[in-house]
Amino acid sequence: MKKERKRPEKTDNLTLNVNVNSDEKDSHLSEMMEADFPGQSSSRRDFLKVFGFSIASAAILASCKRPIQHAIPYAVQPPEITPGKSLYYATTFFDGHEYAGIVVKTRDGRPVKIEGNDLSKFNKEGTTARVQASVLSLYDDARLKDPAVNMQPAEWETLDKHIIGELARINSVGGEIVLLTSTIISPTTIKLINQFGASFKNFKWVQYDAISYSAILEANSLCFGKAVIPDYHFGKAQLVVSLNADFLGTWVSPVHFIPDYISRRKLDNKEKDMLRHIHYDSGMSLTGSNADIRKKIKPSEEKVLLVDLYNKIAERIGADKLPGESFRDDLSGLADNLIASKGKSIVVSGTNNVDIQIIVNRINVLLNNYSDCIDLNNNLNIAAGIDSNMETLVNNLTEGKVKALLMYNVNPVYDFPGSEKFKSGINKTELTVNMSVALNETVGTAKYECPVHHYLESWNDAEIIPGQLSLSQPCINPLFNTRSFQDSLLKWSGSSILFHDYLTSNWEKEFFPHSDLTDFRSFWNNSLRNGVFYYTLAINEPVIISKEVLSRAVSSGEYNKTAGFEIIISESVALGTGMHANNPWLMELPDPVSRMCWENVAAISPKDAETAGITTGTIVKITDRLTLPALIQPGQAEGTISVSLGYGHTNSGPVCNNVGINVYPFIKSFEGNRSYLFSVDGIENTSTESQLALTQVHHSMEGRPIVRETRLSEYKNNPSSGNEKHKDFEETHKSLYPEVTHIGFHWGLAIDLNSCVGCNSCVIACQAENNVPVVGKDEVRRRRIMHWIKIDRYYSENQDDPKVYYQPLACQHCDNAPCENVCPVSATNHSSEGLNQVTYNRCIGTKYCINNCPYKVRRFNWYRYTNNKEFDFNTASDLGRMVLNPDVTVRERGVVEKCSFCVQRIQEKKLLAKLENRTLKDSEIKTACMQACPSNAIVFGNLNDSESKVSKLFKDPRCYHLLEELHTLPNTGYLTKVWNDETINS
Amino acid sequence: MINTYKIGVFDKEESFISSIRLLQEQKIEIYDVFTPYPVHEVFHLLKRKSKLPTAAYFFGLFGIIATLAFLYYTSVIDWPVVYGGKPFNSFPSFIVVTIILTIFTVTIASLAAFSMRSKLFPGRDNTIFDFRATDNMFVIVVVNDGTDKSADEKASGIMMKEGALEVIDKELENVKA
Amino acid sequence: MYNRKIRGPLIEGNRTLGQITADVIAPMEASPGTWWFIAFGISSLAAIFGFYAIYITVTKGIGTWGVNNSVGWGWEIINFVWWIGIGHAGTAFSIFLLILRQRWRTSINRAAEAMTVLAVMAAAILPALHMGRVWLAFYIFPYPNTRGPLWVNFNSPLFWDFIAITAYLLISASFWYLGTLPDFATIRDKTSSKVKKAVYGFFSLGWTGSSRQWIRFESLSFILGGIAAVLVVSVHSIVSTDFAVGIEPGWHTTLFPPYFVVGAIFSGFAMVMTLMVIIRKMYKFTNYITDNHMDAIARILIFISLIMGTAYATEIFVAWYSGNEYEMFTFFHNRITGDYTTQFWGMIICNALIPQLFWFRKIRRNWVGLLIVSLFINLGMWFERFNIVITSLTKDYLPSNWVAYKPTIIDIGVYVGTIGIFLCGVLLFIRYIPMMAISELKSVNSIGNKKED
Repeated sequence: MKKERKRPEKTDNLTLNVNVNSDEKDSHLSEMMEADFPGQSSSRRDFLKVFGFSIASAAILASCKRPIQHAIPYAVQPPEITPGKSLYYATTFFDGHEYAGIVVKTRDGRPVKIEGNDLSKFNKEGTTARVQASVLSLYDDARLKDPAVNMQPAEWETLDKHIIGELARINSVGGEIVLLTSTIISPTTIKLINQFGASFKNFKWVQYDAISYSAILEANSLCFGKAVIPDYHFGKAQLVVSLNADFLGTWVSPVHFIPDYISRRKLDNKEKDMLRHIHYDSGMSLTGSNADIRKKIKPSEEKVLLVDLYNKIAERIGADKLPGESFRDDLSGLADNLIASKGKSIVVSGTNNVDIQIIVNRINVLLNNYSDCIDLNNNLNIAAGIDSNMETLVNNLTEGKVKALLMYNVNPVYDFPGSEKFKSGINKTELTVNMSVALNETVGTAKYECPVHHYLESWNDAEIIPGQLSLSQPCINPLFNTRSFQDSLLKWSGSSILFHDYLTSNWEKEFFPHSDLTDFRSFWNNSLRNGVFYYTLAINEPVIISKEVLSRAVSSGEYNKTAGFEIIISESVALGTGMHANNPWLMELPDPVSRMCWENVAAISPKDAETAGITTGTIVKITDRLTLPALIQPGQAEGTISVSLGYGHTNSGPVCNNVGINVYPFIKSFEGNRSYLFSVDGIENTSTESQLALTQVHHSMEGRPIVRETRLSEYKNNPSSGNEKHKDFEETHKSLYPEVTHIGFHWGLAIDLNSCVGCNSCVIACQAENNVPVVGKDEVRRRRIMHWIKIDRYYSENQDDPKVYYQPLACQHCDNAPCENVCPVSATNHSSEGLNQVTYNRCIGTKYCINNCPYKVRRFNWYRYTNNKEFDFNTASDLGRMVLNPDVTVRERGVVEKCSFCVQRIQEKKLLAKLENRTLKDSEIKTACMQACPSNAIVFGNLNDSESKVSKLFKDPRCYHLLEELHTLPNTGYLTKVWNDETINS
Repeated sequence: MINTYKIGVFDKEESFISSIRLLQEQKIEIYDVFTPYPVHEVFHLLKRKSKLPTAAYFFGLFGIIATLAFLYYTSVIDWPVVYGGKPFNSFPSFIVVTIILTIFTVTIASLAAFSMRSKLFPGRDNTIFDFRATDNMFVIVVVNDGTDKSADEKASGIMMKEGALEVIDKELENVKA
Repeated sequence: MYNRKIRGPLIEGNRTLGQITADVIAPMEASPGTWWFIAFGISSLAAIFGFYAIYITVTKGIGTWGVNNSVGWGWEIINFVWWIGIGHAGTAFSIFLLILRQRWRTSINRAAEAMTVLAVMAAAILPALHMGRVWLAFYIFPYPNTRGPLWVNFNSPLFWDFIAITAYLLISASFWYLGTLPDFATIRDKTSSKVKKAVYGFFSLGWTGSSRQWIRFESLSFILGGIAAVLVVSVHSIVSTDFAVGIEPGWHTTLFPPYFVVGAIFSGFAMVMTLMVIIRKMYKFTNYITDNHMDAIARILIFISLIMGTAYATEIFVAWYSGNEYEMFTFFHNRITGDYTTQFWGMIICNALIPQLFWFRKIRRNWVGLLIVSLFINLGMWFERFNIVITSLTKDYLPSNWVAYKPTIIDIGVYVGTIGIFLCGVLLFIRYIPMMAISELKSVNSIGNKKED
């Protein structure tokens, strides 16, 4: 060792600094050195030199092959995080319009998937497409990344200084300070806002919804003295009559209504009764397409119809009638039915018109529906915006009365009908602050931009129904230099505490007393873990309706009927209000009814189209500023045209800018409420064509037994009615080879066509779970959309008034799969558990399997969709790729892919069961689509287990397999659609 | 080794054939004959036979057995996989592969055999006794080991009489053919 | 065996052996002439367009083609089948006529076989290009590896197809090359140029024409001939299984193998005729490729076209007779009527009706007539393949998946490219390789000529 110390140190920089501190080790090394370099004086340093060199060279050699990608390990490993293991956080989704209790799957600190929270009473385990897609908005490059003054990045401190100063100054002179927000349902935030407002002399808080429900609020306050949206218990109803209320698609809260509604439409051998749904529709809405009986009306006819219906009911139960001529005598039948199911029916209208809502209320009162089916006490806090308030605000703005305007989570420049007026008004204020998550049209109009957290980054709470509380907790550290809205308010009201502490203390004060737990910590942790906390408020006031409001209802003016077209402006199922339009998943989500995406169109009835000489794709001119392609929509009421909202953004990000046309400006104000309707004398056929991004171009089943249907009465007599073919095929099947048996598991999936409403939630869930790429408008036009599960939509033959059928279609996982036989390289073959699996690495892309799949559910990577600027969607940037699910391979160009029954989930749960040394429980494994489905139409499980839900469903007389005549033996089963549409003369 | 060869060149197939006959009657050993196209009588006279067909048959036999064995091994023993509900040994769909691979084997093998037996392969330069043999002349080559003068003259005599254009004596070193 | 009373001599004008040699290798000695250079220029332009299209496909992806989620196979597969079909002529020609001892084949089989080899080469480009990941094409070889399932899928028609075509290419090429040996030797011995002597000497593998070589030569060509005869039938049967094994309506039929084989020979003979008409016009080979030859091919074409007509009728009848609604839809609503009627009726007219003109001796003996009809047949056969590939896929089982199919410029480029490559090959062939089997011509020279009887 001496020798070594004498050695000059100049070579130190060559050596690796490894501590080999025991002499024993040294001797070992020197022995080795002797062996390697005989006759040389050897030392640790020599050895390490050689060692280091060899490592370096190895590294260099390795690096020649591929560019090194640096993975940064944790400096300090957080105890709760195991790399490669998912963590689930319960939280709450609320974007100002839509609410859902959710569980967020995070992987290595990043949220990758949204799942419904099964503890949430509100949405059960269900989610909607938008909720599912919201995780991608977290990684949206169009998010605001820094606070800004006049769009110049600045420090929070400077902003706060200015804003506080300005507020103080304005307040000192008693100037009006207005806080404009979307609907706020967080009790703590409301408290905070009031507290914030109290510190000013002249403070106003205006809540504004892009889609207004103010007519209902107003009508209810007039009738019952409560400005609320009641909760509709479709599950308790026998008969639902809805007029233009798309409660399964867009109206109020589909995610809340669907499970309830479907729970009364599920059929099995025990339950043989289902609610009947009659729908009066103008455009072909998702709800209308699901109704047992759908009738077309023009929006202008709605009020007359309701008055007539009211009178017919009134005279039958001897109440006083309203003035008004008889509209349609077929309503008497409906009246009879409604009375027959008195107290067990719901009449609901989606029209934002006070008079109509009053009449509806009156009818429901007559029918005594408030007792059971409609709940005014435990109302839905989904929308609080009153249109007139916004009107006054804008007027005040233009008159320069408002001195300071603070905006949170609103985009009036885009979605307020009088946006020009608003813009001019905003310039007359002295202080303007905008608090928004992502770029939108309103961003830039305010002086100070205070970007707020995405909901997955922030603390919050919500009270969707009185007594039904839920918490939001951050699932990831803020990605950008943002600050939550509440923290900003706290800052500006001079308080130093963080909102998190404010929240906890508020909960301790307000809600902890309601819990039966003894100490707050456990209560808080418990609520955080569950994401929800429920307690019962003992409010049960009787419903008394004030009679005099009725006179107002009929006396006031009506819609003026026109000879021309009535243009209906409605939300689309995919984009809703359009605030998430920059989300490529949603932008490429086909509308469930029209099956098209990437654009909004003028849906026109076949008859009108014929007379106007219009075909799908023809560009029509409705008004000077409204020119867009037409889409022939079977079932559209003649004389009406539907156009959906949410498109035509100008400054909301690359995906949605200049896609389609913004129709918010065409919304008129009618008696103080926004009316989503206007009329034109006629439309002009510009006789220019444009190709729409349609995902389905043929709409008839051509008489093939694809969706099998029956009537409730027939079903009651014979459960297998409409499904007779199934038995024949089962009997006549012959095979050259012995049937393959699956030992252990044999996975199967059952889809109840009677439960599926076609909401498309599963499509996005699948896309999020399986890293399905977005391909863009042109590729969709070329019929190359990549979705692994799609919801086929068929119309019955009658084009003017068709029945509509929905059929979720993913890989059927056939046991005799035609695709497996033909793959030359054996990239696709059958697993021992009955899965039809694809080995991406092995696939050379002959596309033979695509051709040979009779269901055409296989998808091909026509281009490189990942990391390719030509497809500049979420997978093109590092930020967007953060959403990718690490459990699922990202497919290369030229590879075939398809539904895998979420094999990664199967494996995960199997391993878990193995570790816990137990067998898998039934429905422990949930595929992404099953998990997301709000109507529980999809059931996955083990067919070998005769007790499992899925094998019970496979034995159900309603069960059949798609194209079973081909003897492909699919592991996916469908249950027949049952209509409750026996002709009642209505 | 050096050898003298007597080369008879004919322009008529008939005279060429008849001279072969006569030479054989005279027990004069014919080294070989060269023709621009296959003349079947020559094959009979010189008792030329090819065992290629027999060989090809065995190649085929080998091909069939080898292929079937290979298929069985790969898809039943080595790595069994289920395709579209077929058993591992889904024989009927092996038939095609067997046929083709057998044909394949036979072709390759026979080509190789041919090239080896008749010493034909790229760059090979077999001795050419008379260049016209590939064009329009029929050539008979008789080995002339100066021992038996009479036989030698007899041979040239016959060929001349039968109407050979010319009969040449050539001294050639280690002949390749 | 051969009755000259009916067809006259095989080689007219009493040529001597020497003259035959001279005549056949004349085009290789003389400079080709302007028409050759023009033709070659055009063909290479087409080939360049093709290579551009191929470049785009390989670098950007199959997305540059017209195919989509429902129609996985497009023009490339149509053209692949079309080329393979054409590639059947040569071998069918030599083999069947060889086995049937039809010695009039001698003056045509060389060109026909060359055409086969080139056509199969052109065809082979397409399926390779059609792979999403062509750089991994070697996965299709059954060799021990560590990638997923260890071996290939021996049940897949595409694998059968792959080995069948490989075998076919190999055998027809070697059969063809074997035939050229004596002729190369001839050139080697006749030519004055040193270079040619060296080159042809190299490729003649040291052929001397000794009786030992001839006997083996003959037996080998009979072995290969016999094998290839099986192959001609099996290869296109196998190509047909690509469809017949498939489950698509209009594909899944037992008629396909014979139907495809006959169709292949049909298109092949048509292509042979097209080329022959031109070659013999250009090189004044009327003595060797006589009107009788053309007449014979024309007669065969009539016969085959009748078979084709019957096949089409059978298909449609069976579709109806089976009572299978999907089959019926494909045939009656997506072929006979519907969006693709042009292709269907084009097929019927070009393949079943127009060849019937050959019943007229006038047309059989008129080179313009022959040329036009043969071109129509080639077009018709292309339509047939379009019908099979596209119409079945565009509208199959689930109406929700129904789409239309449109080719892109890249698809067209690839097709034009293959044609260019093929023609370049043909032109080089007639420039550097004896167009007719000299030795065989010599062996049949006497047949049907005065001096024999």
